[in-house]
Parts: sequence; C-alpha cells; structure tokens
Amino acid sequence: MILKRHTEESEETGIDLAPMLDFVLNLLIFFIITTSFVKESGMSVNKQLAMTGEAQESGNILIAIRPNGDIWMDKRRVDIREVRPLIEKMHVERVEDTVVIIADRESQTQVLTQVMDAVKAGGIAEVSIATLSGDEG
Amino acid sequence: MRLKRRMSATSDETGIDLAPMLDFVLNLLIFFIITAVFAKEVGLTVSRPNSSAATEKKEAGSIVIVIDAAGKILVDKKGVDVRAVRANIERLHAQRPDDSVVVVAEKGAQTGILVQVIDQVRQGGIQNVSIAASERG
Repeated sequence: MILKRHTEESEETGIDLAPMLDFVLNLLIFFIITTSFVKESGMSVNKQLAMTGEAQESGNILIAIRPNGDIWMDKRRVDIREVRPLIEKMHVERVEDTVVIIADRESQTQVLTQVMDAVKAGGIAEVSIATLSGDEG
Repeated sequence: MRLKRRMSATSDETGIDLAPMLDFVLNLLIFFIITAVFAKEVGLTVSRPNSSAATEKKEAGSIVIVIDAAGKILVDKKGVDVRAVRANIERLHAQRPDDSVVVVAEKGAQTGILVQVIDQVRQGGIQNVSIAASERG
C-alpha cells in the first residue's frame, strides 16, 4: 500500500535530483579547494636536461629567464626590481605557492641568483630550477 | 486565469525547481575542472643560503664546487669534467657523509652547466645543494 503511494509520487515529481545535487556540489567544493592557478611566465625557454628532476607539486609561480637576461613573469617582461613586489603580491594571495625558475641553459647564473634573492626577499623560501626530465628529452 | 492556475498548481506539487541551480552549479564545476592544474614543472629544488649577499666565506663541513665564467668546474680546487663530478662527489660523500654541497657559480657562468652540476651532485647521493654567488666573473 505504501509502496504504491510512492510510485504515484514519483510519477508526479520526476527523478529526485537531491542526491545528484549533493554529489555535484561535493565535486565542486573539491575542485575549488584544490585549484591553484598557474601564473604562467609567457615565454618558452630551452631547459637543461637533468636526471634527478622532481615534479614540483605546488610550484605554480613560473619565472622565465631568457639567454639575453630578460626576465618573464605573468606573461610580460619584467625588470629585476619588479620581481620582489610581484612575488610579495602573489604570496599574499596564496601562501602555499612556490616558485619555479625556468632558466634558459644559456642564461647567466648572475641573473638566476638575482631572481632567487628577489623571490626570497618577497617571502617565498622554496625555489626550484626547472629542468627537462629524462623522458622529455 | 489559466496561467495562474497552472503555475500555482505545479509549484504546490513539486516545491522549488532545482534545475536552474543545478545548471549553474554544473557550469561552475566544469569551469573549475578545466582550470585545474594538471601539468607540473619538473625541477631541482635548491637553497640560497645568504640572501642579498655574496657568500665568500665557506662554511665548514661543505663540499665546494666552483663554476667559473668559462664553464670550467672545480671540485675541491681541482678541475674536473662535468661527467666526472658525480664520481668525485661519491668519493667525497663516502669520506664525509654529513657534508652538504655549495655550488659557487661565477656571474658569467651558464645556467645549463649549473643545472648539470647540481644534477650530478644529486646523482652522487647528496640532495642538499645550495647556490652561492661569486664576486668574480
């Protein structure tokens, strides 16, 4: 008797969307929490091959250094003095972010160390140098 | 007259219509799935001991590797080839297992050589590598 009433009800209202909605909302919350937007450097460079490179899980501020010493960050060319304030701003927005410096294999180490110092002064201690992994090269 | 009757009748039966909300939530979900970061940079994490100051004093208990502007590599003041760095590090690591490595790169040295040296050191079994700047070069 009760069962019969149930079928009558479902005929009236269609499929119950509530469980699906719960599931979708959970997925949504998961993706919102885990999303970290990569700050692209906007420039491609030739990286050096390294066997011991590790995938940088939280490294999503990318700074590119070109062979002629140009620094690219946030899809535009920046001066070395701009790196620190930019890093400070990004560090405030998302504290877990770390920096990956994509230095061209022909760039000078002077620029690399300057950028590393600027990043450190901007408040991010963990810096890594991007490499080609063994299977990429 | 007809409209009013139909609307009030259906809303009484089904309650709030979830479909527009579901559409919206699904759109949000798709946005976050698309923008989620999947590609990760591969890199070597290095430390930079003293910020904004060139380190001339060598810490006790560290193996110093010098890269000069011409790309020559000196391990323990002896000139070695890039491919020989690993063997040298393995030997020194066996002698003094607690030592860390400091790579002193001169200003004009190329980043590619620096990355190769760091890679060799890590292959030689020492993960703790830091970069120091040199005044010369």
